[in-house]
Amino acid sequence: MATATEVRETRAPTPTPAARSSRRRRRALTGWAFAAPFVAVFGVFLLLPVVASLVMSFTDMRSTDLRTPWAVEFAGLDNYARLLSDELLAKAAANTAIFVLFGVPLTMLVALAAANALNSGLIRLRAVFRVGFYLPVVTSIVAIAVIWRFLLDPEAGLVDDLLGLIGVDGPHWLGDPSTALGSIVVIAAWRNFGSLMVIFLAALQGIPQHLYEAATLDGAGRWQQFRHVTLPLLRPALLFGAVITGIGYLQLFEEPLVMTQGGPLQSTLSVSYHVYNQFGFGNYGYASAVSYVLFVAVVALSVVQFRLLGSRDD
Amino acid sequence: MRTRLFTAVLLSAVLVAGCGRGGSEGGEAAEQVSEGKATGEITVWAMGTEGEKLGEFAKAFTAENPEATVTVTAVPWDAAHQKIAGAIAARQTPDVSMIGTTMQGEFAKSGALDATPPDLFSKDAFFPGAWDTTVVGGTSYGVPWYVETRGIYYRTDLATKAGFPDGPKTWDDLKAMAAAMQDKAGAKWGFNIQPGKTGSWQSVLPFAWSNGADISQYKFDTPEMTEALAYYQSFFTDGLSPKDLPQGALEPAFVKGEIAAFMSGPWHVGILKEQGAKDFAVAPMPQKKSSTSFIGGSNMAVFKDAKNRDAAWKFLAWLSKPAVQVRWYETVSDLPAVQDAWVDQSLSGDPILQVFGEQLKSAQAPPAYPTWEQVAAAFDVEVEKVCVAGEDPGTALKAVQGQADSIGTGA
Repeated sequence: MATATEVRETRAPTPTPAARSSRRRRRALTGWAFAAPFVAVFGVFLLLPVVASLVMSFTDMRSTDLRTPWAVEFAGLDNYARLLSDELLAKAAANTAIFVLFGVPLTMLVALAAANALNSGLIRLRAVFRVGFYLPVVTSIVAIAVIWRFLLDPEAGLVDDLLGLIGVDGPHWLGDPSTALGSIVVIAAWRNFGSLMVIFLAALQGIPQHLYEAATLDGAGRWQQFRHVTLPLLRPALLFGAVITGIGYLQLFEEPLVMTQGGPLQSTLSVSYHVYNQFGFGNYGYASAVSYVLFVAVVALSVVQFRLLGSRDD
Repeated sequence: MRTRLFTAVLLSAVLVAGCGRGGSEGGEAAEQVSEGKATGEITVWAMGTEGEKLGEFAKAFTAENPEATVTVTAVPWDAAHQKIAGAIAARQTPDVSMIGTTMQGEFAKSGALDATPPDLFSKDAFFPGAWDTTVVGGTSYGVPWYVETRGIYYRTDLATKAGFPDGPKTWDDLKAMAAAMQDKAGAKWGFNIQPGKTGSWQSVLPFAWSNGADISQYKFDTPEMTEALAYYQSFFTDGLSPKDLPQGALEPAFVKGEIAAFMSGPWHVGILKEQGAKDFAVAPMPQKKSSTSFIGGSNMAVFKDAKNRDAAWKFLAWLSKPAVQVRWYETVSDLPAVQDAWVDQSLSGDPILQVFGEQLKSAQAPPAYPTWEQVAAAFDVEVEKVCVAGEDPGTALKAVQGQADSIGTGA
């Protein structure tokens, strides 16, 4: 993985094979020496916990074993078997699937539309809008929760007030199981589209202008230009965006935690939230097992997206 | 090379996880505490308001024990469980920590808490329900520090109009009063109780206990429980309780008279007064077979890994003195867990506090099993289905029983 790159020799005499290999080893050691601090930190704080939690997922480790970890017993695949009959997990998985199925396209579309609008020159005060669209990304989730709860409040909320103007009796968005999940998806999309928008905007600005000029000469209209020039050239950025948002929605956690606590009637419980609860109950072994299943799902989704969106020639 | 390292890491993790489970000790004997004044630094973790105020308060302890200092670290409630669990695992605990009554079972089971020395603390000094929360497997691991319980808050003016000037006495009264508050006194909602969700077990169990239910062995699927849950549900099916009251809407609605009564704990007195409520009183839990409420609050425990164990227990003994308990009540409004503190004028002179004080004598706590929080969460989910989605109480309790059986007591 981390072999030192060969530097071209400038000295004329070719060294003997033995000398070359010793020099190469020395170079490799130098490389490792430079990488050592990172490798150590990565190993201790990332690799080790990841491996430990994998091992833990095959044990009956609970918080009551904290002081005596050596007394934990192997449970084989018990945790994984239990996970299959966990009704709450099934509910959480179904919710998470909905988050992904609706959240990813919604976030991508909004981000793409916003990026295009900012790029097209249709909008004045471009900088203001760019900052405005990006602000939710850097705003604290707690502030977002307070604001949205206020907006969606059935009594004093602006959203239902506006609906009232056109004679619609608005629901209690976050308090009704049939609307809470949708509300969370919309809020999550609103919160996250800004970072994608920035990536798409960069990609859009990287498309050479002469391609559009050529397309115009060929008689392509605005839509056709978008369809045949912009989209194909945005493909790598779109793939990246889809993978990143897919992972994000599979691991969605903060929004349900602060907005609805997974309710009402578990309608906004996500898999990550379920894992968090299980850790909270001290079921370390079981929570680790669920985490690993979620990890596999993340990998699987990314692979599917690469298959679907990846360029045909790699 | 890399694979070998990986295997080594994996193996070491496996070794840590290997071997058989050591039997947990039942009926542990507590060690003696030395005579004389406390000395040295005592490190304490406490949550919420208690964490903010205890450091200043404990200076009085140093005044009595000049060679002892108390260092308090305030821990946010949200992080408390994780922080304590982490400290136990790393054996880097403070000497003392405040422990929520529902966490007690789990931490005691982990073997991290020191058994309460019987020569310093007498069980009878505390409310029995509070003392029970410290007892795990027949041994007490800590002492109750402050307590809370639940009662029925009601608007006296509306209750008079509804024909219940002295509040509800029985289950039938509570039901009739709630209905009359809407019909005769013009309230929008007669009685607000929690429609499931986190912590709703604390509202349901008082009705169950008042109906003679016993959950000490995780038995939920019983006639007493079912009847209590059906009664609880009827407030929603009869349109007397709101199903989705937004956060923070209860108090203003109560002040306006839109909500005529609700069930809550002592902390609500201060909140209501702040919001300008005047005509209200608190009734004890309505009677069925008994009038039995829920007892909650926090305990104080000493860790086995404490550096200054003896002084830590002496500090807790000081916190348990009736006079100190009264002073603590005057500092943060926490209700004393020590019964003798209640004779003090500041508590006995207040009619609302007297209601809570009376309830505390018979109030019950859930069993101190390590898995209680998890069972309670499952219970909360089913209660929500019953209140909001109209699920049959019997079906709901069967589901709770199934969950409780598969979770187990963890003891």
